[in-house]
Order: sequence, then structure tokens, then C-alpha cells
Amino acid sequence: MKDQFGNDVNRPVGSRFWKRPITNRRMFFRHAASAVGGYMLLPSLQQKAKAQAAMMPVGTAKNVIFILMTGAPSHVDTFDLKVGPWTPSFMAPNTFNGLAFPQGLMPNLANTIGDLALVRSVRAHATAHSLAQSWVQMGRNPIQGLNTIAPHIGSVVSLELGDPNATLPPFISLNAASGPGNGFLPPTDAPFYVSPGGTGLPNTTAADGQAAYNRRYGLMTQLDSDMINNQPLGDGPAELEVFREKANAMMYNPAISTIFTFDQPTKNTYGNNSFGNACITARNLLRANNGARFIQISFGSWDHHGNIYAPNTNLQLMAKEFDAGVAALIQDMKNDGTFANTMIVAFGEFGRTVGALNQNAGRDHLVQQSALFTGAQIQGGRAIGVTNANGDDVTDPGWSQERYIWPEDIEATIYSALGIDWTKVIHGPELGIGFFYVPQLDPVQYFPVNELWGS
Amino acid sequence: MTGTTRLLLTLTALTGFGLQGQDLTAVSGANCTFKQNPAKFQGQTQRAIKAIGAQLSALDKSRNTMKISSLSVLDPATVPHANFIDDQIFPAMSAAGVQSAPISGDEEFFRRINLDLTGRIPAPADILTFEADTTPNKRAILIDTLLSSSAFVDKWTMWLGDILENNAAAVAINRNVNGRNAFYQYIYNAVAGNESFKEMAYEVVTATGNNYDSPSAAGFIINGYQPGGPVQDTFDMSLVKTAQAFLGLDHYDCLLCHDGRGHLDALSLWAGQTTRSQAEEMAAFFSRVNRPGYTYPSGTPAATQTADFYYQSYIISDNTTGTYGLPTTYGNRPNRALIGTLTAAPPTYRTGQTPGSAAWRAQFATMMVNDPMFSINFANRLWKAMFNLGQVDTVDTLDPLRLDPNNPPPAPWTFQAFNPALLSQLADTFVRSNYDLRNMLRFIANSSAYQLSSEYPGGTWSDTNSGLFARHYPRRLMGEEVHDAIATATGVWAKYTPRGFNNTVLYGMQMPDTSEPSSNTNNANTFMNYFLRGNRDNIPRATDPTILQSGALMNDTFMNTKFHMTQSPNLQAIAKLTTPAAQVQQLYLTYLGRMPSTAENTAAVAYLSTGTTTTAKNAAMEDLAWSLINKLEFVFSY
Repeated sequence: MKDQFGNDVNRPVGSRFWKRPITNRRMFFRHAASAVGGYMLLPSLQQKAKAQAAMMPVGTAKNVIFILMTGAPSHVDTFDLKVGPWTPSFMAPNTFNGLAFPQGLMPNLANTIGDLALVRSVRAHATAHSLAQSWVQMGRNPIQGLNTIAPHIGSVVSLELGDPNATLPPFISLNAASGPGNGFLPPTDAPFYVSPGGTGLPNTTAADGQAAYNRRYGLMTQLDSDMINNQPLGDGPAELEVFREKANAMMYNPAISTIFTFDQPTKNTYGNNSFGNACITARNLLRANNGARFIQISFGSWDHHGNIYAPNTNLQLMAKEFDAGVAALIQDMKNDGTFANTMIVAFGEFGRTVGALNQNAGRDHLVQQSALFTGAQIQGGRAIGVTNANGDDVTDPGWSQERYIWPEDIEATIYSALGIDWTKVIHGPELGIGFFYVPQLDPVQYFPVNELWGS
Repeated sequence: MTGTTRLLLTLTALTGFGLQGQDLTAVSGANCTFKQNPAKFQGQTQRAIKAIGAQLSALDKSRNTMKISSLSVLDPATVPHANFIDDQIFPAMSAAGVQSAPISGDEEFFRRINLDLTGRIPAPADILTFEADTTPNKRAILIDTLLSSSAFVDKWTMWLGDILENNAAAVAINRNVNGRNAFYQYIYNAVAGNESFKEMAYEVVTATGNNYDSPSAAGFIINGYQPGGPVQDTFDMSLVKTAQAFLGLDHYDCLLCHDGRGHLDALSLWAGQTTRSQAEEMAAFFSRVNRPGYTYPSGTPAATQTADFYYQSYIISDNTTGTYGLPTTYGNRPNRALIGTLTAAPPTYRTGQTPGSAAWRAQFATMMVNDPMFSINFANRLWKAMFNLGQVDTVDTLDPLRLDPNNPPPAPWTFQAFNPALLSQLADTFVRSNYDLRNMLRFIANSSAYQLSSEYPGGTWSDTNSGLFARHYPRRLMGEEVHDAIATATGVWAKYTPRGFNNTVLYGMQMPDTSEPSSNTNNANTFMNYFLRGNRDNIPRATDPTILQSGALMNDTFMNTKFHMTQSPNLQAIAKLTTPAAQVQQLYLTYLGRMPSTAENTAAVAYLSTGTTTTAKNAAMEDLAWSLINKLEFVFSY
């Protein structure tokens, strides 16, 4: 039987047990951009009850480090290792209590495998870089309705957890200069972009010296304060001077210098490269405990369409840097006491083709992918989800929803870890029907991967 | 990431939740655009209004409102009408019982019109001359002077370049430096020569030839290319780019993946009724465009190719045959089905017209420039450029079924424009003047509505009145304008050579796209990008304030020596003035385009007077110059 859109509603979808027949209402929202009252037709009561029963956020994380592996790393060479005739010797594949991991490629992380949870049933919605990168950072389709300038997950975290009195902005983005930002949230939730080199934060010292700076800033505020304040718009509108005040608070601030200044030995420990420097900065931001709650590190490119296994470059080089930086970060965070309350998630925007290499000795785009989770009391040393022999599809999703894990589910996981109600919808005349923290009008009901904590 | 080999979609490799053999991952326009432009949904206008409200409040705090204490809000019925714009604006205010801001004083107007028309702050001597001038129509003369200036050409070339998305590197396709410069030259010539927008649009949509042969309008159609899918994806993208820039109809991007019904019903009356087939039939007009890359005889060494001028250029032409074939089974958009039994989408313009010849692209261009949406689109964009809030905001979400003042949409829909009659008349004026850019801006700038002050003294302002335009709305300056303002105020200029240029340029507004100066001379590129220039591709230009902007205005290497006495000829000249009062006045005029208020004057004069040595006096003046750059109003046009 076909519904009004010509879709066959009675045909069971696929043969795998977790793909239940989809109802007529789900067909209607198959193209989920409906902005008209669709939320009234939420999923079936059974689904909804199931979701509500486990709606409690996990709340073990105070902060999140979000490592975006831009260009999309090959999952079967990293977090979902598949060995075959193509596997180069430097991978040195090994298993740790049944968990396959390329010990040669990432030896330091192999040493700390007990902390790492490898989620292998993740899927991307599309395999185009720009679209998918936006997708994973916004936690929703970037091109639907309200979503076209939806905020970055980090901006939502900033909105929820940001402390306006802290020195640092809540959302810090390392080694990027642009991308999804605060969208329609206030500019105070925008990412603060820094590419740290270890010599302090740019533009926080004045070339003419601190005395001159203080003198000038004082003069400027004096000139302003003599003016008669007229507020014809009444109270309430955003204070645009807050940005100037925030910038001023960072000037000559030893706490800021401490975060962004580090020495060569430290850099060497972390790999002595820009990714390592960002990891050091993340560690320092957490130590400072002065406002930063969501720290993104962009690290790429992993887009190895050709010569993926060329020695000391491409995959091997990227993985070496990733391994050094993340392992050192985990170690230091444990010593600092910030590991137990910080969730680290690392993944790319999609995965790569499996099995034998392509004609350019590389791997191309694929929707199947993996993600690495650690910290925040996540149970490590195991995988969630099982893929088939070559790694291009899932045989056991390994979690409560019994389906692929989508970027929206990872988004829900992040909110849940931070104690944020991922089902929240915020309203306002400028938000149309409302902004869903995690989309709720798609055919699939998104959910946090609580199995990370063992449930 | 460049080239077509990178984006290999592997949808055919997907298994899984197939509904009619199609994976759920491909639904809803997966990958139907690389754009992130805010568009098409109810809250956008509200957000624009809210942002303006915040800026008004902050500016009011930052400026001295006592300067115009002799003025106060007016009864709109008393405001003189300069032209048809006022005939619409002020009666609407009266009807709503909302008072009008006073007409701006000369000082406020002079700085604003200079920035808005030319992107440059005025010189102190010119400000004083204008204020002292008693010619009754001095504002009209000033407007004409600015409209015929070369600075005007720079600014509106940048404006048009943003709309046409001219850049050297984009996600889907690269024009490279040669292509970008050739397109820039075309746009520059069109603005400089006051070419009719009807002619320009026709040329741009139908351009042929090698896109590196300067000047070349073919730079636009280049952008329609869509890798990673069948050729129909390119037909679609060509329509999307064209409809967005020239018709203000962004919804085609959605409609080329799915019907409007069930998706766009609450966003657009027109789009909600338009089907995917209809959108494909519009896109079909682009199915005869031939766009091969420039090739070399086989055996040509790679080094020879890359060194050749035409390397990676495209040669655009039109075939006399070719169709928008159906069905399609892979690519960036969901599978396309037959239209009934048709195996190709017949080119049909949205008004029902079909092509009268085999030259489909030219036929489309003719229909497009005669489409009422063409003139409405540009009328609205020009209104927004000057009034800082569109009659329809955002400007590329026009709904053709809600714009005609003589045809109200059915309830619960309302008119889309704040003042439908006005928008209609603006569009008519544009048509009757032969789509003349300067003529439209002349009407707008001469209206009393445009010349209202941004202050609202003695009145109570409410955001809900935003659509009445009862006061002028401020805008944050573009990164290029901030750069140019600092250079102008300090008198310290760096010379930049944009890639591929034979000459140097001084102004940020003279850059051919927002990636220049790519050498980052003087940290100018980094500095301007703090102000969110965007990349004319997937990152649109934005006007948000950020902490980094504030930090840059205080410390960045771009400006941190420009205001030094040893560097700045302007400051040296001011230092030679005989009294601190004269120096303060000149500083304020130079940096902020206005006289200091009484209170500002007292504080600043006292500050300049404390030093006794030349060194101390110079330092004090430098401090004051720095402070003025960092006053909030410096980065605003109000």
C-alpha cells in the first residue's frame, strides 16, 4: 500500500532485526524539514516512553574536548582495525582483550587502551566534507529549515553552562579560524578561535607596553562615562561593550599567559607540532578552570585518497601526531585530576572505503565510521558496536537504540555527559517553532550512547 | 581540497534502510548545497530586528546624545517628502501612531553617506565645509558627487562581488587567481560604467568563452558546477546560484531535492506549492551549457601546463541539443524520478513560459530579467544595503505570492514585505530607470526616510516598530571599511598587490575577493578577517561582534604603530595645532567624523594639557587617538 507520497508503508525495511517497519507518520517525516506543527506528531508512544524512561543526563563531565579529525580518517586503519593483505607492517596490529588496535601506528594510545572506548557503529549522513563537517559540529543537517545557521554544539554548551563572569569564553576552538559558530545564539556563545604556538595569546599585550595600555583604556572609559546615558530601548538588549570588556580582561592577565605559554620540553612531549600544542592548551585550559567548558581541536587532513600507507607521511604521520598528543593529554589530565570529569571525543566527518586500496593506493569516502571516547568515567578497553568483516557495515550496533549511531546521537551523548537535558527545546520569536538541542523531527529518535558508561 | 576526484560519493555502496532502494542517508537533500546562508524560516527577520535593537542601544550609550538636544522625535506628518519613498514611509508611521526620528544633522549625515556610498570615512576639512555650506540642496549635490566617485565603484564592486560570489577558491570549483581577476574586472567595469543591471544580469547568465579572458562574465556560471554526481546536479546548482542572486529565490535549493509540500509549507506560500518537477524544469534551461576545462595536447609536460596562463580555465559555450535527463540514481541529491512518463524535464520557466529557440540559456536569461522577481530582488537588496534592514529580510527568501500589494495572500499568511506598496514602487522605479544602480541609490539617499537620525531623542523605541523605519538603523562596518578607516584616520597606508594584479592598491575595498591581500602584508588580511568577511562560498559575510575584534582593535600589529606620532602624518599635523582644544576637535573629526561633546571636550582637553614636554604631549595625543579607534562608534555606520 502506498501513502500519498508514493511510499510503500507496509514493506518492512531491510532484513536486519533492528529495522522495524516504519509507520505512515514516519514516512511523512522522512524528509525532516517540516516546520509546521510536525512536533505534534512525535514518534509512537512506545518509543516516547522508552526515551523518557532514560532521559536522565549522565552528568559525569564538567568539560568536553571535541577533536574533529577533518578530512575523515580511515576507520579500518584506526579505531576499527581490519587486517588484510593490504596492511603495512608499521601498523603492527594487535588485540587487547579482544579489542583490535594498531599498536604500531599508535603505540602510546595502545598503552592506555584501557581508557579508550571505541565506538564502531557510527554512520555519517553524507560523504561530502564541508556538509558533513558542519553536520557533526552542529549535530544536525546544516541545510534544513532552521538549521541553516544553527549553532555549533559548543555554542549550545556555552549557552547552558557558560559563566559570564569567567575570564575565558566557554567555547574555545583551537587550530581553526572559521566554521559553524553561535548561529542564532547570542554572540557571547561564539567560538573563540586560537591557534596556539606556546608564546601567549595574540593581541593580549600591547606593543607600547602595559602602562600605555592601561592609560589608554582608562582614558577611553573616562571619555565614555562622561556621556549621558540614554537608553531609549530600555534595558535588556545585549551589551556590545561586553566584547571590549572581555578582551580587556584578557590583557596582561597572568592566568591567560599561563594557559597559552608553554616551553619546548612540553611541546616535545606532545609531539612538537600544532596538534600537540593544541592538546597542551586544552590541558592548560582545564587546569585554569576559568570559563572554558567546550574545547574543540581541529586536526587534519585525514583525506587520504591516495598513498595512504606511504611511510612517514599521510596516515602514518597524522596518526603519530594524534597518538602523541592525545596520549600525553590523557596522562597529564589524570595527573591534574581533570580526566575523570572531562569527556574527550575524537572522530571525523565520515569514514573511508574498506578492504583493498583504490587505484591510487588510498581510500575514498564512506558513510561507515568510528569514534573514540575517553574520560568522564567512561568505561574503556572495549568497543561499542561491531562491524562486518571488512568494516563497511554494522552487524551489531551495540547500544539501546539498536541502530546506527548518528552525529545527532553523539551530540546527545555530549549534552548528556555534561548534564544538559538533550531533549530541551528553546523558544523565542526569533527561533520560529523552536530550537531543538537535538533534532526531534527526524524519522529516528536520537539518544545518548549511555553504554559508554557501562549501562 | 580541489578538483573533481575528491568528492566520490559512494551512495551506491550503501546498504541498509532502503525505502524504494534508496538509503535514508540520502534523503532530505543530503549534500544539496555547500552554502550556509541564513535563509527561509520564520525567525530570521526577528533575529535581524533584535540585532539592530542591540546595536541601537549600545550606540546610544556610546555616543553623546546631548549633541542634538535641540532635536526631538517628530510627528511624521511634518516631515517633508523628497520622493515616493517618503510618500510611503511617513504615512505608514502616522497610521501606526509612531513618531519619527528627527532628520539627521549634517555631521551625522555626512559621515553616514560617505561610508554607505563609498565605504570611506570623510576628511575633517570636508566635514566642516559641508556643515558651513548654506546651499539649500547641498545634500543632493553631495550624493551625486559620491555616486560618481571612484570610491563608489570600489564599494559597489565589492557588494556585487559578494552577490555573484566571485572568489579564487571555492569548495566545488576553483576560478583560481586568473579567473577571479577576470570576473572582478567584468564586475568593476559594469559598476564603473553604470551598466544596466538588466544587461549585466543577462551577460552574466549567458556568458561564454574562456573565463580567464579578462574581463569575463563567465566567472558566474563557473560556480554552478557540482562535483560528485551526475550532470543534472550541475544543472541544479546553476539554477540555484542564478535564482538566489538574481531572483532572491533561495528555496530552489530545497525544491531541487523534494516538493515544497510537506517541507516549506510554513516558510513560503509559493515554495510550499512548488514541486520538485517544476524546479527541475527551471533547471533544465541550463542543460545545454558546455563547460569543459582547458586541455593541452597530449604529451604536454605537467610543468608546461601549470606554467601556462590558461591552466585550469574553463571554456563556456552552449550546445544546441541536450536535455535534463531522467531518472538519476546517484549523486548529491535524492534520486530523480520520471516526470510522468517523460524521460527529460522540459524547460519551463516558473511563470509557465517555454523556450522559443534552442538557445535555452539565453531564453532563460531573457525570462529572468523580465521576471518581476528580478527587479524586486535588486530593489530589496539595495534597500537593505542602505537601510540595514531589508523590506524583506533575509533578502534571498522572497515569496512571490506575498509581495504584490494588490493581491493579499490568503489568511493566515501576511504580506512578506514591511511595506508592500513601497517595495513594489521601488521595483517599478528600478525597471523604469533601466535598472540603474546609481539612480536607485540616488532615490534612496535623497529620501527623508534615509536621512533620519539614528537617535530617537525624547521618544520610546520599540523593536516592534522596526518595519516602519522610523529611525535610521546602524550597521557594523565591513572588515574592509574598518581597515580603510584606520588607514584614513592615521594617514598610514600600506601598498598591497593582490595576486595577479599589475598595480598595487591601498584600500581593503579594492581587493578582488576576501582572500586578499594573500601575502597578509601588514597583517591586513588577518585583521580584516576578524570582522568576518567570509569567503563568498560556504562562509557568508557576517556582522557579529567578537572578542577577537576588540582585541585586534586594541593591539593588532595592523594598527598598533599607525597612531604613533612618528608614523602618522595626520597626527603630526594635529600636533602642530596651537591649542589642545583645536587638537581635540581635529582628532574627533578625523577619527569619528564629528565634533566632541562638551563633556568629551573637557576630559580630552584636560588629558592633552597635563603633559609639559613634547614627548608627554605626543604620548597623550597617541593615547587619545587609540581611544577613539576603540570607541564603539568607530566600527559603526549610523
